[in-house]
Amino acid sequence: MSLEGKLVVLREERREDQRLFADLRNDLVTQAWAKTLPPDYTEEMHVKRFEGLEFTYERTSSRLVIVEKTSGQAAGFVSYTGEQHRMSASIGIVVAKDFWGTGAALDAQETLLRFLFEELGLREVHLWTHSGLPKAIDLAGRSGFAVCIRLRESVYKFGGLFDAVIMSLLREDYFARHPDMTDRLPRID
Amino acid sequence: MLPFSLKRDGIALRAFEPTDVHALFAYLNDPDLEGRRYLPDGFPDLAPLSARHVEGILERWQKESESWTLAAVDTSSGALLGHVRADWEWDLHCPSACVVIAPPQQRRGIGSAVLAVALAFLFEETPAHVVSGWMSSWNEPAIAFAQRNGFSEAGRRPRGGVHAGAFYSEVAFDLLRAEWLMRKETHHVA
Repeated sequence: MSLEGKLVVLREERREDQRLFADLRNDLVTQAWAKTLPPDYTEEMHVKRFEGLEFTYERTSSRLVIVEKTSGQAAGFVSYTGEQHRMSASIGIVVAKDFWGTGAALDAQETLLRFLFEELGLREVHLWTHSGLPKAIDLAGRSGFAVCIRLRESVYKFGGLFDAVIMSLLREDYFARHPDMTDRLPRID
Repeated sequence: MLPFSLKRDGIALRAFEPTDVHALFAYLNDPDLEGRRYLPDGFPDLAPLSARHVEGILERWQKESESWTLAAVDTSSGALLGHVRADWEWDLHCPSACVVIAPPQQRRGIGSAVLAVALAFLFEETPAHVVSGWMSSWNEPAIAFAQRNGFSEAGRRPRGGVHAGAFYSEVAFDLLRAEWLMRKETHHVA
């Protein structure tokens, strides 16, 4: 079963998504990497990576495709990596420019967060971005993320030096923002 | 002259050798270093290490191509005092550095001397613009060490882990090249 939000569903990656992934990677804005990658990714390269995915019960990372419910179109993907079991993980989000301003990104982020806190039992979720991406910082802030680390001039992108920004969301803050949900994990403090 | 040629106050840096296994095993298993041993991914930072673990650590360090980890030794006795690491795997523009000194050898200025070598290498032999350092919030000596050596706190990410029954934060520090140059001029850092 996919993860269902209000506007989007998050589902497993499929072969037909690979064209979109290559396009997103070749756009210097949506490639979502703090050091620029050359725009030379092909659909075939992505298909090869996709076909190399192995069955596993490991859950330290995942990439889920964002599908807009009304159109049925793939809008991008959300991911989490570096999951420290029952503790923390880092998330990422990439949305095609056609879907900017539609609410798809925020809904996808919220849907992923619900999975990470409710199903994986994480105590904290964070993300890396940089000061040259105010839209990314704003999107994270709308889900309750707060800047916790700012590494000065650590990113060179778009011809300028930017601060690497780490934003964090604590489990208790997430549940406080969602009074319809109940946190049944005992606290550690 | 490359900064590795450090020989100061009885300290020298050299590559690790297979014969260092026993000395490395001894100080990495010092309980005072638990949780702050800066081991490669996949090695337990909070459990006793076997000789086999330590052999694996040495092997990993020797195979890494976008970092180096060097042994700090006492020039008169040849004793292993600790290690220093410079890592630019993510981006040579913003590498990181760390220092681990055997607890009985701490508070003799060895850490600062070997950190100065790592910084000199990164700022003088590579295009590094800023160097970061990462530590746990419970590791107060490391935080004081970073501050003493010119680093500024960049922030704290909560829930870096659990220690002594409570969550701790991951603390980040950074040092810009311009700050390092100014400090070098002021303090005559090697």
